[in-house]
Amino acid sequence: MDEMTVLDRFRSEVPRPGPDDLRAEEARLMAAISGAEPAPARRGRIGGPGRVRGRLAIGLAGGLAAAAMAAGTVVASHDFAERKPDQVTRIMPVAASEVLTRAADNAAKFPELHPKPGQYLVFESQTMNPAELNTAKGHSRYLERSIRKVWLPVEGDATQGVIEGKRLSPKPYPGWPIPPEAYQTEPSNGPEKLADFDNRVEYLRNDYAYTSRLPTDPQKMYEHLYTRLGTGPKADIEAWQRVGGLLTEAYMPAAQRAALFRAAAAIPGVTTIDDAVDAAGRRGIAAAKVIGGSRHEYIFDRRTYRYLGEREVVTDAAEAQAPVGSVLTSTALLKVSVADRAPQAEPHK
Amino acid sequence: MSETSPPGADDASAIERSRSHPEAFAEVFRRHAPDLKRYVTRRLGRDAAEDVVAETFLTAFRQRDRYDLARRDARPWLYGIATNLVRRYVREEVRHLRAAERTGADPVTAPFTERSDERVSAQAHGPRLAGALAALPKGHRDALLLVAWGGLTYPEAAQALGVRVGTVRSRINRARKRLRRELGETNPTLIVREERVHG
Repeated sequence: MDEMTVLDRFRSEVPRPGPDDLRAEEARLMAAISGAEPAPARRGRIGGPGRVRGRLAIGLAGGLAAAAMAAGTVVASHDFAERKPDQVTRIMPVAASEVLTRAADNAAKFPELHPKPGQYLVFESQTMNPAELNTAKGHSRYLERSIRKVWLPVEGDATQGVIEGKRLSPKPYPGWPIPPEAYQTEPSNGPEKLADFDNRVEYLRNDYAYTSRLPTDPQKMYEHLYTRLGTGPKADIEAWQRVGGLLTEAYMPAAQRAALFRAAAAIPGVTTIDDAVDAAGRRGIAAAKVIGGSRHEYIFDRRTYRYLGEREVVTDAAEAQAPVGSVLTSTALLKVSVADRAPQAEPHK
Repeated sequence: MSETSPPGADDASAIERSRSHPEAFAEVFRRHAPDLKRYVTRRLGRDAAEDVVAETFLTAFRQRDRYDLARRDARPWLYGIATNLVRRYVREEVRHLRAAERTGADPVTAPFTERSDERVSAQAHGPRLAGALAALPKGHRDALLLVAWGGLTYPEAAQALGVRVGTVRSRINRARKRLRRELGETNPTLIVREERVHG
């Protein structure tokens, strides 16, 4: 056997990749083609550890001047993006979360939306988020609550979205009195532009045009969740939060949703919470993972396994600076529908 | 290793169209991404290949205005860009080859090994070949693998590397001699074949 034959056979088991194995590359090219190429991932982090949905949730802080600046800001987490791509073969562990496995089994049982290019997905939800206020009188905290309705284009980022909000009565942040300003904010706001900029890298996109092309194979979806992540606890945490990015104000076909739940079920450290309550007071069962001083839960209807919402519950008082068991953040996805158009956004004040 | 390029060498017109209609560039991706990714994966492994292939097409897309439309086939251009990007990973490439040489377990093929059950004969020579590839000067390795794995002709490899055809030929000849020596085989018919195929 001559050396060229040996060379020809060396690593010949590496297969010619199919379209699925080129999705990440194709997506980056397509983003560049559409002129929306995301900032290179290695730029480092912008705006701290904020998750996309966390930032979006702040969007309703209409009357609070300081928060209003942050309101339109959607910032993706770049924390792990600067790492070198890991050389580890990522094998999806056996699913440990029965809640998520059942949610996957049931994913196809709901009527499916079929949004078309040019249309909008409309998400109605109720949210509760910590708000901070810094005035001449001092520093205060409370939990602001609102109903929000968001129109997101079938294809496009959050800057093309529109939001309309209605304020609900605030709740106290554990250990803090509600400041009077919390009651003085505008009762409603919008329709206004959802975000002024959206720097999410391609693989963190969650518009329908993107989510509907995600893999339907759980192993591939698992790899997608870990794109550019290393291994270990920090990577698992980030992957768990990326699941949230695909559940919150995002919609995908049943096949992708089933794959997402099966992939999420395999993320190490996921536990089951028997009794969880979403922001609208609906009770359910949750899959959860402890992150820092709190437990991040994705809540499902106990009978139908429909996704209800999420919440964060304090598990470490010192780290979270709130008593164990207190709920600081929660959402409830009330309705998802399709619309031909979004309301005209008011110009920025 | 063949002298002629595969048909469908109409890349120039897709690239030309993409100057006014950027989406036309997707056609270039569809045609060449699978083979390019397999090539880069064989050199660097799956994860690095994803980066290199994505960057290759992004770079090509940004440079499409400078593409010489007289070149119908874009492969030399694309493989040339990829070769520059592969060099960023040269230390990993060598590390993987050395690991394969030392242990017989190749980190590059590990993710794919379940799919193949017919690499036995190659595997016997695998560690020695890996060692020989690792020891090659990188310019020699680039030329050899562009031809052997990338399927480029000598003139195409020369275009990709920005060197003269004669340089490619001498690099490949020297690389092959080295492999032959490392594999401990002498096969006089090789030289004859080389002239016939690539003369």
